[in-house]
Amino acid sequence: MIEEVKVVSHRFNINNSHLLDTILSYGAYRVLPIGLSMKKDSILDMIVQSGLRGKGGGGALAGEKWLLMPKDDPRPSYLVVNCDESEPGTFKDRQIITKDPHLLIEGMILTAYAIGANIAYIYIRGEYQDFEAILQKAIDDAYEKGYLGENIIGKNFNLDITIHRGAGAYICGEKSALLESLEGKRGHPRLKPKAKEPEWYFGNPTLVNNVETITSVPFIIENRAAAYKRFGTENSSGSMLFALSGHIEKAGVHEVAFGTSMLEFINQFGGGVKNGKKLKAVIPGGSSTPILTADEVAKATLDYETLRSLGSSLGTGGMIIMDEDTDMVEALKNLLEFYHDESCGQCTPCREGTGLTDTLLAKILDGRGSSKDIDKLLDLADIMNGKTICVFAPAVSGVIQSFISKFRDEFEKKEIK
Amino acid sequence: MSINIKIDDTNFEVEDNSLLIDILLKNDIKIPHFCYHEALGADGNCRMCMVEIAGQKRPQIACDTFAKEGMEVFTKTASIHAVRQDILELELINHPIDCPTCDQAGECKLQDYYMDYGFYESAINSSDKIKHEKHKDLGSNVILDQERCVLCARCTRFTTDITKTHELGIIGRGDEARVTTMPNKKLDNPYAMNIVDLCPVGALTSKDFRFSQRSWLLTSSPSVCHGCDKGCNIYIDHNKLKYQDAKIYRFKPRYNKNINGHFICDEGRLSYKELEENRQYNLLSDNKVISKNIAIETLNSKINSYKNNITILVDANLYNEELEAIKSYALSIGAKIFSPLSSYMDNAFGDDWLKSSMRASNAKGIKSLSINTEITEDYTTTGLLINFNHPNPDLLSYLELVEFKTHINNEKDKEENLNLIFPLAVSSESEGTLINKNNITQYCKKVINKNSPTPTALEWILDITGDIK
Repeated sequence: MIEEVKVVSHRFNINNSHLLDTILSYGAYRVLPIGLSMKKDSILDMIVQSGLRGKGGGGALAGEKWLLMPKDDPRPSYLVVNCDESEPGTFKDRQIITKDPHLLIEGMILTAYAIGANIAYIYIRGEYQDFEAILQKAIDDAYEKGYLGENIIGKNFNLDITIHRGAGAYICGEKSALLESLEGKRGHPRLKPKAKEPEWYFGNPTLVNNVETITSVPFIIENRAAAYKRFGTENSSGSMLFALSGHIEKAGVHEVAFGTSMLEFINQFGGGVKNGKKLKAVIPGGSSTPILTADEVAKATLDYETLRSLGSSLGTGGMIIMDEDTDMVEALKNLLEFYHDESCGQCTPCREGTGLTDTLLAKILDGRGSSKDIDKLLDLADIMNGKTICVFAPAVSGVIQSFISKFRDEFEKKEIK
Repeated sequence: MSINIKIDDTNFEVEDNSLLIDILLKNDIKIPHFCYHEALGADGNCRMCMVEIAGQKRPQIACDTFAKEGMEVFTKTASIHAVRQDILELELINHPIDCPTCDQAGECKLQDYYMDYGFYESAINSSDKIKHEKHKDLGSNVILDQERCVLCARCTRFTTDITKTHELGIIGRGDEARVTTMPNKKLDNPYAMNIVDLCPVGALTSKDFRFSQRSWLLTSSPSVCHGCDKGCNIYIDHNKLKYQDAKIYRFKPRYNKNINGHFICDEGRLSYKELEENRQYNLLSDNKVISKNIAIETLNSKINSYKNNITILVDANLYNEELEAIKSYALSIGAKIFSPLSSYMDNAFGDDWLKSSMRASNAKGIKSLSINTEITEDYTTTGLLINFNHPNPDLLSYLELVEFKTHINNEKDKEENLNLIFPLAVSSESEGTLINKNNITQYCKKVINKNSPTPTALEWILDITGDIK
């Protein structure tokens, strides 16, 4: 029996938990007086000690990222929360902003305080219009009660939060494209710096973190790093919101510690594969992570290291379950259509590669393909890997390679139709 | 500080932290690229300039790699060749391959790189290609074919970063991405046509030049623009068909880091037309064509009858050598010489970049030869006025006018101009030096050879003074 962890989800089941009046009696903003009385460095230290990993998909250590923010820089610092949750199979951040938006705001205040930012943005996916309204109401209420604005809870710290809605591009979830978009430009990823440095918003040092990462901060500050580190594994410490969708009895989001068995998670929280069918495959962490076969799923635990050793990635923790009747060629086509539509079009391999792979797969599905086309797909996956500015094309490359290498017979059957 | 790096087993001493692609280009090492341009910097989108660097597991783009001590770069390995071929194949996937009807053919980077890295089987049927807008008139003489575009964004970066006029942008995502103008905007800035030169492929072509000549038939001769005293460096692209007169088809900017960088203004670019239109070709007196001998005789008799009452005006676009000859001629016949520069001032034209308000290409040459640049108020009349192509002879009142002119100035000229008129060669048909506003002296060679050439100022002086003795 897996136990649910309650780092960010402890107030999800309270009625009207998104309203400040309700949630105050459940301890909302109780960590603020603790955090805002601490030294900034001790908060940074605490986050580093906790081993908190970024929950947006990359899984980088949050503390290391925070330490990149310059101290005593004459330029203003910014905090940007990435809520452009567009990865297929992923719907965890929206649980936070609809069920406990005040915990996110509390986390943002503490984070901004630690990195010395007085302005914070929430970049929210354009399609999340209804959720944005809930979040905006929470922000307005927080301003009214003195949790935002000047001299927060009477302390010498100011913070303004502004929500910025995206215009519907998947790529704006990539942090540098997000910042370009936030600056009012076309959402194109930026060239990567040669050395580690913070992100830049109009040339000012900026920290970009995922919603769930920031929402984990109050727990760590209240209970100390060791309490957070108690969850999870040696290297993947803490917990994460994992999502289930696809051929599953009960789709949903549940917070568990890293290191939990994937199969157990699927069976316990999802009630097993839909209609009692057999499991065929799972995309483990949002559509951009390489697919796992049922055998691999049996070996998988939900942490970064194990999934990497299986040739995939934990990603956003959004699992897409596929039953035994799933047509893998159709499934890949569905994904490639998505990537074809969403490639930002900046780098040649991605711009043309996503379109060409989609076209070739359509040909195979149509029964007009040949094994040459399957090889061409693999070639293209190779061309798209490691030759672009951002990781969009390499991710697509990994998806194509995993589907074809693990289910090649299904692709070959299509040709002789 | 200089450091040592190794490129394909050759050692180079370069500035620390300098951009690798600049080093490669400077040393003539082949490095295919679409999006990088020295004036626009790196954008990193085309992925063609991939090189291998020892110690890096993936190929790197040279436009975003900086030289470090001991760096080992490989540009010719089989794997790099394969990568470039792959990227090029993708560039061409949705390209219409319409070279026979494309005006860029012959000076197209896609063609060049296909010859270097191509020769593969196409992976896509032409019917599956993405269709976009063709021959879209962007304004300012620029025509866009979106299907030929490789989305290097040089044009959009030019209007964003250089002219800061922001007319162009890229819309659409993935393979639907395309360059276009902003809503309800036309391309409209005085440097717009530079994007035609910047475009590495046939996506942007010049409305003025397209379909007038195949690029490989043209001869490019270095020269200097005569549009103002900035002295921008240009190429004069011309062609001479058998038995016909040589003809200029276009001006293109020629890189000079001290003067114009990579660009020229549109007005200067289109000024080649003036070299052919409305030219004065005939020797005229009383509106009748006369022979050279009679003309020179007539001139000399006028000079004799107006002794000590002669004024010479000179055009501040003439070359230093011509000015000097005219100046000594003035001395020999006892004439006063002027070149009033106020006639060339055009404040509406000037800006703080390449366009100068002084629209005489050799105004500094006039000054360096100590020719008077203004006519003093007490000097208002003369007997004989000899005008070497100065645009405004009516600054003085005169009894008689002799003109050396390149162009027929107006309608009145065509009907009745009873003065003695000598035709004069234009700048492209003559040679000499100019001094630009920053005191840089530049030589322009004779580019156009006509079947029956019009004499230059120097040749006229030689003829006339030869007759005097």
